[in-house]
Amino acid sequence: MDFGSFLKAPEIKVRVVTYRDIFQDKAMIENRFGEEYRNRSAVIKMDPGDLNQLGVKKGETVILKNSFGTVVVKAEESGYEPSHKGIAYMPNSPWSNMLVSDETGGTGVPKFKDISVTVTSAKGQKVTEIGL
Amino acid sequence: MAEKNYYVCTGCGMLCDDIEVESEKNKVNKVYTACRVGVAHMKDGKESAAFMVDNKPVDEATAIKEAASILKNAKNPLIFGLGTSTSETQKLAIELARKTSATLDDTSSFCLGKVIEALLNNKFKVCTLDDVRNKADVTIFWGADPSDSHPRHLSKHSYFPRGTEKQRGWEEERTAICIDVRKSHTAKICGNYFFQIPPAGDAEFIDALMAALAGKLPKTSYNFPPKRILELANILKGAKFGVVFVGLGLIYSLENLEPLIRLMNALNEKSNFHLVPMVGHYNMRGFNENLFEETGYVNSVKFEEGTVKHGPEYSIVESLKAKAVDAALVIGSDPLSSLPRSISKNLLEIPTIVIDPCETLTSRKAKVCINTAISGVESGGSATRMDGVKVEFKPVIETKRPSDEAVLKKIMEAL
Repeated sequence: MDFGSFLKAPEIKVRVVTYRDIFQDKAMIENRFGEEYRNRSAVIKMDPGDLNQLGVKKGETVILKNSFGTVVVKAEESGYEPSHKGIAYMPNSPWSNMLVSDETGGTGVPKFKDISVTVTSAKGQKVTEIGL
Repeated sequence: MAEKNYYVCTGCGMLCDDIEVESEKNKVNKVYTACRVGVAHMKDGKESAAFMVDNKPVDEATAIKEAASILKNAKNPLIFGLGTSTSETQKLAIELARKTSATLDDTSSFCLGKVIEALLNNKFKVCTLDDVRNKADVTIFWGADPSDSHPRHLSKHSYFPRGTEKQRGWEEERTAICIDVRKSHTAKICGNYFFQIPPAGDAEFIDALMAALAGKLPKTSYNFPPKRILELANILKGAKFGVVFVGLGLIYSLENLEPLIRLMNALNEKSNFHLVPMVGHYNMRGFNENLFEETGYVNSVKFEEGTVKHGPEYSIVESLKAKAVDAALVIGSDPLSSLPRSISKNLLEIPTIVIDPCETLTSRKAKVCINTAISGVESGGSATRMDGVKVEFKPVIETKRPSDEAVLKKIMEAL
């Protein structure tokens, strides 16, 4: 019997900073509903220490959740030095936008590059399809 | 040598004007000189047109009639987008907004609009990308990663090329500096001149840099090594022609532009510094300038009984959030993808017309969808480059798809 399945999956909080990626932009122009765009967009780049803490290997999926939405995306190692535990990076896309707060303080400018989420292992769940 | 036929790429705000293409039977087969994004953009043309109402194919007249009827029945329609439309189309859209008492906005309200507004009001010393190529010796990419967002920026203008007054190029005569929260591709090019700061640490870094410029000890709460900030200040003081390329990373991190204006003024007391906004969409700056000329505002306006109201409450984000608009005309934009879903979901509750060359999440949910020519590839016109230079362009290929300009004209006639 797999007792591990009764344990609560580890959960961490991260602050997500979004960025632009030329390969993802090109994939969007070619087909914004295509597999390449999804593969290049539905990604979170994390510190290896954070991935370890979650028990998630690079390439596996994770659940990102906050009060605005939930998405399943693929976790990758950022490759950035030095260590940036607690900070993660996502290409700007409909997946990151599922998690952006509607709080703007009346300025008209959402916090696209400052998203607080909790991360847990998605235990093999597939990446979220962006529909409506 | 035969004279070459160059085209303009409308893939981003750089409007590269040295593009060669090979085309046959109205299909672009090869694109030379453009970047990865530009090539995909130039090859994206499609010959056939599509008009849809409620996701069912209709003829053009039916789609136009339905679009006009939605606008006519709305008390406060939102007209949004236009960053990838020509200036001619934008001016028509402003007229349409006036006619329909609409709220009019573009993506600049949630990206670089504030910067464009400030520079149109002469708050910054500016220069062109050609000046940068010919004269710049110190360039700062701040919260900007042109290697990904404007891939030819460094090779065509800001770092690598030989310019008239910079014949020794980057190896000897240019210093590129990157200030960012992550080691972007541009940061890697900047090597030892990459200054990594924590998220939202920009305002403090500006204060520290200003202290260093004034000869004081620079301090930050995140303990950025003062020696490195002093070293940076020395490079900036020695610049003969400096440029700050301002990206969204910097703008999103500042509550307002005041720290940036202060820094640019301080730099100009010591040396010579210009500002260029890293505009994404090929004619976002054109929209800002055209609306500014008409109304004195760059975005977020509401036309009402001959007057123009302006403020963040008329931005797409706030007007959708407050459910203040009762219909939407979206031109060349995909707010259901590019805005927070927590806000854009309100678009699903109002009748929407989408005019766009591509199928998008927003077009799939639209009441009326009109598939138009890609401006710059399948239709011509003029636009304003990120640095304010006006650029004219002709279509590369022909298409049966109407231009967004032609569609707007027909909607106005049908009103």
